[in-house]
Amino acid sequence: MAREVISTGNELAAQAAIDAGCRFFGGYPITPSSEVAHAMSVLLPRVGGKFIQMEDEIGGIAVALGASMSGVKSMTNTSGPGMSLKAEQIGLGFMTETPLVITNVMRGGPSTGLPTRVQQGDVMMSRYPTHGDYKSITFCPGSLEECYTEVVRAFNVSEELMTIVIVLLDETLGHMHGKAILPDLEEVQKSIVNRAKPDPSIPKEEFKPFDVPEDKPAIIPPMFQGYRFHLTGLHHGPTGFPTEDAEICQRLIERLHRKIEVRRKDLLESNEEYLLDDAEWLIIAYGSVSRAAREAINRLRERGIKIGMFRPITLWPSPQEKLEELAQRFPAERILMPELNMGQYIDEVERIMKKRPVALNKANGRPISPAEIIAKLEEMGIQ
Amino acid sequence: MRHQLRFTGVGGQGVLLAGEILAAAKIKQGGYGVKAATYTSQVRGGPTKVDIILDDEEILYPYANEGEIEFMLSTAQVSYNQFKDGVKDGGVIVIEPNLVTPTQEDLDRWEMYGIPIISIAKEEVGNVVTQSVVALGVTVEMTGVLPNDLVFETMISKVPPKFVDLNKKAYELGVKYAKEAKEKGALKSVAEVEAMKAKDVCETIK
Repeated sequence: MAREVISTGNELAAQAAIDAGCRFFGGYPITPSSEVAHAMSVLLPRVGGKFIQMEDEIGGIAVALGASMSGVKSMTNTSGPGMSLKAEQIGLGFMTETPLVITNVMRGGPSTGLPTRVQQGDVMMSRYPTHGDYKSITFCPGSLEECYTEVVRAFNVSEELMTIVIVLLDETLGHMHGKAILPDLEEVQKSIVNRAKPDPSIPKEEFKPFDVPEDKPAIIPPMFQGYRFHLTGLHHGPTGFPTEDAEICQRLIERLHRKIEVRRKDLLESNEEYLLDDAEWLIIAYGSVSRAAREAINRLRERGIKIGMFRPITLWPSPQEKLEELAQRFPAERILMPELNMGQYIDEVERIMKKRPVALNKANGRPISPAEIIAKLEEMGIQ
Repeated sequence: MRHQLRFTGVGGQGVLLAGEILAAAKIKQGGYGVKAATYTSQVRGGPTKVDIILDDEEILYPYANEGEIEFMLSTAQVSYNQFKDGVKDGGVIVIEPNLVTPTQEDLDRWEMYGIPIISIAKEEVGNVVTQSVVALGVTVEMTGVLPNDLVFETMISKVPPKFVDLNKKAYELGVKYAKEAKEKGALKSVAEVEAMKAKDVCETIK
């Protein structure tokens, strides 16, 4: 049975982690994300999990990665400044193919920025949160329900693809307090994905975790179970021990890309289309801004204006084919892209659509309101 | 029917709770309620606003639309000044007269009442923490956005059992003062507001 709750985005993200099987949290409190950690500190002990508040952001992700390496579903949580600090460890997670979910509740930046206020400034950072070459995955909820469902999905995807998944919330969603209808708990539990286990017919001493096909994630058993392998940030071969072999190094990086690229359509892509069928005007929005966009659309529809919205929920990898298709339907001057930054995702949209939508940007920590979206559309020629 | 309300104060006054209770009561009724707060990085003393949206339909944008707010309650001058313009012309504003002084222009533009919420909580209820519940009683009586009983029950379900009596008293006092204020009629002049101020203000608000 669906569950009706009254909660906030941050608390629902924590509840989702528990329901998805997360049993370890390592982190450090930071506004506006602290309620995720707080809720985890209450919920985890109830289900036999472990919560550790570490000495800083780096320690927080380090223990979370360690817990995951020992086979426990694990999470860390932060806001922009913490993402900067975690950058190096995020790279270790990508390289060692360690599943981990990071919730980043975006606030004003750069640097310490506007701690209590909303921004969508970490969109590009989520694509490349650390140095080196890899493909990353980012989900961006737009409602309280999705703060729950996208965190569940993030855990499942991180286990399936053996990688870090970032869930981008923002201050508005994280702190917004209201009604949410969550999916049935049993259904959620039935959907749970656990990381692949080694083939039991292979003797433990012969098992090679990175000896997998060119588009598949590594199969990494928990540590201390008799398997002999190594986890390192250095380029590594089938057993995980460092190597500089030209062919192996090339294959490793290609595989880190391919394992994600091949699942882009069937596993990762997720979008919402709102009133697009007859639309003559298009808004592209994501995260909390999409809520203002939807309200603006509802108001404009009452005036008889045919307008709809395309909302990517998976921001990275981006919705290539869908945006190409929309580019065929809408001229640039009839597409509006409101973002709480000076224009980040619009560059990606332009790359794919081969045209640049009209931008509505704000980066002062205040939300974009439906009235501002309508005013911009009127400026663009909506009557 | 959509209702847009706003509570403004300074960080640490606890205005969030009243917003949560109103939202929860509306949800209990089968509708939608959203509370969205804006605050500053100051732990205490920074201007804070809490927008409360109540609707029978799903609420998308979680903040009040500026210029559409029908009711605002304010317990700090700094936040009053910053957020008052969100209230629609002719809308209702309740101020704590010891802490907020409106301009004559404001009094002409909005239907304004003075209720010493903080001194009521501190002196009559006996615990300044209950100001949030006093404010809740004031809001429900002033706006009629939700049935009194429903909000009262929701409030009681959210406070620790040991503080039920205290909060009951706070809520009832809020309702009583709001009734009296309405009977007396809206404030017309700054002099009227000045006359409401307690002589030992500093002592009262501490």
